[in-house]
Formats: sequence, C-alpha cells, structure tokens
Amino acid sequence: MDLAGSHILNTTPEVVWAMLMDTDILARIVPGITTLEKTAENEYKAVAQVKMGPVNGSFSGGLTMQDIREGEGYTLNVQQNSKIGNANATVTIDLKPVENNQTELTFDGEAKLSGLLARTGNRVMSGVANSLTKQFFENFEEEIEGKGGKG
Amino acid sequence: MSNKYIGQSVKRVEDKRFITGKGRYTDDIKLLGMTHASFVRSPYAHARVTSIDISAAESMPGVVAIFTGDDIKETGIVGVPTGWQVNFKNGDTMKEPPHPLLIATGSTAKHIGDPVAVVIAETYAQAVDAAEAVEVDWEDLEAVTDPFKATQEGATLVHDDSPGNLAFDWELGNPLDEVNAAIDASAHVTTLEFVNQRMVPNAIEPRSYIGHYDEVSDKYTLYTSTQNPHLIRLLMCAFVLGLPEHKVRVLGPDVGGGFGSKIFHYTEEALVTWASQQTKRPIKWTETRSEAFMLDAHGRDHVTKAEMGFDGEGNVKALRIKTYANLGAYLSTFGPAVPTYLHGTLLQGLYTTPKIHIDLCGVFTHTVAVDAYRGAGRPEATYLLERLMDLAALEMGKDPVELRKQNFIPAFDGVEQPGYQTQVALQYDSGNYHGVVDKAMKMLDYKKFREMQQEAAQNGKLLGVGFSTYIEACGIAPSAVVGSLGARAGLYESAQVRVQPTGKVSVYSGSHSHGQGHETTFAQIVADKFGIPMEDVDIVHGDSDAVAFGMGTYGSRSLAVGGSAIMKSIDKVLEKGAKIAAHKLECAADDLEFAEGKWTVKGTDKHIGFGDVALTAYVPHVYPEGLEPGLDFASFYDPANFTYPFGCHIAVVEVDKETGKVKLQRFIAVDDVGNVINPMIVDGQIHGGLAQGIGQALLEGAIYDDYGQLVNGSYMDYAMPRADDLPMFELDRQETPCPHNPLGVKGAGEAGTIGSTPAVVNAVIDALWSGGHKVKDIAMPLTGERVWRAMQSS
Repeated sequence: MDLAGSHILNTTPEVVWAMLMDTDILARIVPGITTLEKTAENEYKAVAQVKMGPVNGSFSGGLTMQDIREGEGYTLNVQQNSKIGNANATVTIDLKPVENNQTELTFDGEAKLSGLLARTGNRVMSGVANSLTKQFFENFEEEIEGKGGKG
Repeated sequence: MSNKYIGQSVKRVEDKRFITGKGRYTDDIKLLGMTHASFVRSPYAHARVTSIDISAAESMPGVVAIFTGDDIKETGIVGVPTGWQVNFKNGDTMKEPPHPLLIATGSTAKHIGDPVAVVIAETYAQAVDAAEAVEVDWEDLEAVTDPFKATQEGATLVHDDSPGNLAFDWELGNPLDEVNAAIDASAHVTTLEFVNQRMVPNAIEPRSYIGHYDEVSDKYTLYTSTQNPHLIRLLMCAFVLGLPEHKVRVLGPDVGGGFGSKIFHYTEEALVTWASQQTKRPIKWTETRSEAFMLDAHGRDHVTKAEMGFDGEGNVKALRIKTYANLGAYLSTFGPAVPTYLHGTLLQGLYTTPKIHIDLCGVFTHTVAVDAYRGAGRPEATYLLERLMDLAALEMGKDPVELRKQNFIPAFDGVEQPGYQTQVALQYDSGNYHGVVDKAMKMLDYKKFREMQQEAAQNGKLLGVGFSTYIEACGIAPSAVVGSLGARAGLYESAQVRVQPTGKVSVYSGSHSHGQGHETTFAQIVADKFGIPMEDVDIVHGDSDAVAFGMGTYGSRSLAVGGSAIMKSIDKVLEKGAKIAAHKLECAADDLEFAEGKWTVKGTDKHIGFGDVALTAYVPHVYPEGLEPGLDFASFYDPANFTYPFGCHIAVVEVDKETGKVKLQRFIAVDDVGNVINPMIVDGQIHGGLAQGIGQALLEGAIYDDYGQLVNGSYMDYAMPRADDLPMFELDRQETPCPHNPLGVKGAGEAGTIGSTPAVVNAVIDALWSGGHKVKDIAMPLTGERVWRAMQSS
C-alpha cells in the first residue's frame, strides 16, 4: 500500500522538526499511540491501538529513524506486530519552508501488511490511512496552536 | 422392467434434514472427552521460522498439549503426498518436495497460513487464546505468486531443489514442428494472451475433522468433511502416518459442498489423527471462514498464450498453446493432474482441428495449493477454445455459430459409428454436437436477437451475445488409462447390494455425496430394478468400515461409475434370485421373467415376489441344491472409457456505456449428459454450475498482493455470485446415451461451470464490438471498471 501526501503546517520548519523529534509530543499527536518510549538513539518502542473497519487490534513494535537530515527530514521505519497481522512501513518525511513562515510536510512511502490485517483489512486500509493521516495533522496543528503558533 | 422412478423428478430424500437444519456434519458431532485444536499459522507467504517458543502458551488455561514442527520432525513424519506423478518432457522425475504437517524451526513457511504449531485445549476458545500466546520469530523473505514470473530468471525459489520453480514441464499433441508449420501456413491466426484467474472454492461447510484414537480397541476413527473417505484413509495410513489400514476407520458424515476442494488429503486430517494418539483424547478442528479462504485448495490460475490457425474458408487447421499453471507451494492430491490430463486432453474440443500442441509448465509459487475446482482443467480448456472461436469469428467477419458448426466433429453414436479419436489422447464415446447448438439457437431466436442488437446499437445501447460449446471428460476414470498417465490410484468404484431377509435393500456405495443427492438417485435405480418402493432402499455411504472401498465423488463420476457398480450388483442379485424363484416355482430359471417386483413363469400367472425370494435366501428350507444362502453381492466397476458430456451455452448481456456494468439478461444452456435418472437433480446441478461459471466471468477471483498476502479473503472482499446477479436460466437437454456403461449416463456435476464462463465473456466482447470497441480480451472478472477501461482504450 502506498502512503503519500503533504500538508502545510502553520509554523517554521525548525519548530516542526523539534516537535517531530520530541517523543512526548509524538505520543500525543500520532493517532492510536498509547505509549512511545525511546530505547536507543533514534529508536523507539511503540504500542498502538488501531481500529480499522472490521479489523481491531493492539500493535506493538519499534520505530527507527534513519537518514536524518537535521531540520529537513528523515526516513522512518515502522515495524508493528499484532495478533491480527503485522505491518511494516518505510516512510520518508521532508520539511520545506514555504511563504508566511509555514512548513510543507511531505511524506512518501509504502506499507506492507500481513495476516488477517491484509486479508480482511485491505479493502478499507487506504481509507483508514487517509483518516489517520488527517487526524495526525489535525493533532499536529492543535499542538502548534497550544504552543503559540507562529514562532 | 417398469420405470416408476427412473426419469422422474423425485424429491430428494436428503432435503428434509438439510432444509430443517438437521443435517449431521462433522462439526455437529461431539464425543466424550473431546478436545479442540487451533493452529499457529504463518502471517507471511515466505518466511523462515527462526524460533518457536511455547512456554507462555503451555501454562494457559485448558491447554492439553502443544505440538510444533520440531515435534513432528522428530517423529519422522514427512508430510502429505500427491496422488499423481507428471514427469518432465525430457523424462526427469516430477519435483515433489515434502508438504510437512507443521513447519519446523529453520524451515520456511511457503504460503500464508502454513502452520508451525497446533494447540490442543479443553475448549476451542482456550485453544485459540493459547495459540496466540505461542511466540514465533520469523525472517520474512521475498515471495512470488504469479506462475509466469516464478519461472523467470532471478525469481525467488519456493523449494531450493526446484530450479525455475518448475514441478514439471509437459507437452501433449502433435509434434511441435508440424503444428508450427500448420500455423505458419494458415490464412488467419487468432491469438489470445490471457489469464484464467484463481478461484476460491467456497464450500458452505468449512473443513472439519475429528481424530479419535481409542485405546481399548487400539483403533483410530477420523471424522472428516471429505468427498473421498477411502482415499483419505489410504493416503493417511500408507503414505503419511504409517498406520495399519485395518485399524483406521474414516467416516464422512453429511458434507456441505466441496466443489473439488474436499477431495484432497489435508495436513490437518493427519495431524488430528496423530495427535489424538499422543493425547489419548478425541480432537476436533473446524476451520474458520478466514482459514477456508487461505487454505482450501484454490482452482484455475493459468497464464496462457493460445494461437488458432484457419484456412481461407474458416476451417481450423492448427492450435498452439503455451500455459503456465500455478500449482501453489505444495502439490495437492490431484494438483499435477488438473492442468495436464484434465485440461490438455480436452483441447480438441468439439472440432476436427488436425494439429494441436500444448506446452505447459507446472509452477510452484508462494500460494496455497491449486487443485481441482468444479470442472477441474476442463473449464480452462473450454475457456481457451471458445474465446478463440468467438474472437476468430469477429476478426474474420464470420458468424460465430456457423464457424463452429463447420468445424464440428460429425455426429457419432459410439455403437454403429466408432468413437472419435482426438489429437490429444482421448477417444470420445458418442456425440451429436450440431443437435445441442440447433436447440439452443432456437431458444435464443438468433435472427431476432441480431435485429435487436442492431437496433440497440443505433439507440446507443450495447447488447451482446456469446456462445460456448463444450465437451468434458467425466466418469473418472478407466484405471489402466489413468495409471499410464501417472495416477497412483485406480479410479473404479465399489458397490454392495444387500437384500435383507424381509426384502428391504441396503446399498453400500463408495461414492460419497457432498450434496449431489446420491441417497435419492441411487435409490431410484435400485427401487426400479427390483420393483420395490424407494422407501425400501437405504443408501449407505461415507463410512470406510461399512463400504468395501471407494474412490469418492468428483469428476462427475458418481452415477457413471458408482451407479454402474450398483447395477453390476443388482444384476448378480437378480441372477441368483431367479435360481431361487425357479426352484420354488418348479421350473427352469430361463422360463422366468422378472417385472414389477416378481418372477413370473412366462405365459402363466404363476409367480413369486421379490420379498419371498429374499426370505427364502435367508431361510433356505426349500432351496436349490448347492446354492449358497443369502442375497448379498459386492461389485467393483472399472469404466472402459471416460464419458463425454457436451453442450451449448448462450449468454445475452447488456453493457452500460457509461459505467461498463454488465447485466446478464439471458442464459441458455442445452446440455447432453446422456441418460437422466432424476431431471430435477440434473437441473439443480446445472443451475449451481452455471452460477459458479458466471461467477468466474463477472465477479470472483482470489487476489494475492506482491508479498503473497491474500487480500480478499472474506465475504466482504470476495464477490460471490448472488441470486440477483443471475437471470432465470433457460435449460433444455438432449440425451445421447453413453455406449459403454449400463445406465447410459455421462455425468452432470460440472457441465454448468465448464460451458458458461466463456459464453458470458464472449457476450461482453460482442456487445463492445457492436458499439465499435474492437476489444480482444478483458481480464476476468469483468467488473464494471475493467469493461469501462477497455471501452476507453479502444
């Protein structure tokens, strides 16, 4: 499944970058995440609860950041396991300053699903991914507002 | 002999229990002390098992035992075998990698759902919970699912010792250079590259097994939802577990459909039987619907290039085919036979094509096994031929019906005129192909349809008609023939007819019903032949302890082979009965005639009834000297040839110009299945077959993604045909008796599926051409989107 999209965030790339590197903030804004803890430099352990149409499961696994370009972006590897199947995703995130001190966040990658998740969730998966993405950016914006918006 | 029942639409005696919810299926059976199994399965299509940890699961509530692939490996049990051997063209032996019951540490799972462990617990819920607690570490590996891609350079291997992922390559027909020359010399060559997509069989009853080892008798009982109890026993005892066959009873209770998928010996059958001996407890396993989608052997899945050469007058001169047939990760029981001897041998069709060559690769992929699915090879052959015929007619500007008729094999009855020898190994028994076409065309009112089509086109509507004529090889099968083709079993059938002292009759048949109505059709024959009421006949099937032997139900064989075995025993009963009757009536047996349940001295009214003779046989006070008491005969019937049903199917469709949606308006089927014992049951078989064939054309298809995940493994995602997708079927029949079996029957179970699919696709193509869209092919299923895209690109 392809994962791609972009969104304009109402703050500078520096602020967005700092937020993306902050575990506490990520745990608040990534939909479904219940715990997120740092296990090593650029490595995290995550537990998430996701409900997708007929598929409802508790996921746990790791997140690894690679190819880190300070202030510009990184590649995120996600490996999440659950009783209803596993999900592997690799997503490249890029930050680009745009006018009015705003930031364009672009993501592009692919997710690989297995087990029941693939068998019965596939039909609704891209819709679920879209709504999770939308939720993520809404949360992100709320977080930015809470921080006082434009830096 | 009067026919009170034969030829009548007698209501099925089974249906009372089926439609009132009282059928007794394997999952309905509860044994004292019974435990339940749940499997730990691979979530990946191709992955190495690096470790299996059962410690957490073992201490879960209710757990009785856990077995892993490592435990099975220690026992030396290798796995389940295949029943057919199809060797390479160059004579090399077929690649037959083991199909283990459970995957051991260090080995690789080869399709999603491949099991690594089984948990046995007091309840099913406890077994499922504990199975989830089994920790397996996987090393996810690259997978290949497409049979063509799997043979290409650099493709990942399913089995290390099968280079190119080939189980075998195979050819049949005339020498290739002769066929090449005939194609080159043709005035017109119609070429079609297409996929015959993968199908999920979807029996309404999921597979269910109970293994029960009884310490007291030291005997095993396997209850199984199977089409084939004796073959399961033979394979499991002799080739998997090494159990003594006389200590194993296999019972097939009511079976809720199979469509082929329950012919085969599955790993779970052997596993519950073995594990029951380990735990000394009965073990039940019933698959979930999700498991059924993943694990019941799929059907079809061919990637094909076919070329048909014609001379200037439209006579077929040559047929050349290259096919990649997906066999899945492991060779299932009939897996190697379906694309070869049940498919390649049917490529003559109804035509006099003088030069035919098929080259076929049997390919391993990281998918579940592919095996017989209703029609089994013959729908693929029919689809290929009939798509080519309609397309050739469009390309050459000829009428598709006339083009077929000019190429038909002339009528022959197999008695006065000999059978027809094909270029692809078979000899057809009898046929009148023009007859079924003429009947079907009358039902269609062809001339009027073409007028309507033209008018519709002028009004911006797309109407189309599609034709299909088919032949199938049924009544499977003459043992010597299939043996020479690589079958590892004979394909005869057994039947015992036991006349009880009171004149009631018990029939023990090796054919095992999974919905066909054996208990009705067989009883109709026995009742008529003995002149007794049907209620006095009981048909016993699906029990290896009661029935001498059997080869099960598939390949439209039950009546042609199983029914013929019953006829042999009936004849033996009547012959002995005549001797007893003659003694009682003080005449010679030759002076008697048997009719309406009694032996009568010819030309007199002196007679003795069937019941009196039966009683005399068991109370032999006044009895012929030297004659054994009893009236009980067993027979084995091995057919002299396959039977060859045939027919003509016509589909009429309307295609929505804006959306591409196909509406099937009419479906006409004229089938010749030989003599008919119960017309209602035959019509029912045709109806069901048509639904599945039309389902393939318009709706169904198993989809694996690039990683080998089955992405439409549920009824929310896999489109089954429903009543409102289908028109009222218009059926008729022609009856050309089979010349080589005593009932003259040919078999009706698969005809609907075999003939219907190409008719529907041809109709859609015809509709598009009527609107100027000269499309050669649309990949099945013909969803609105695919048809719309085809229209946009032409």
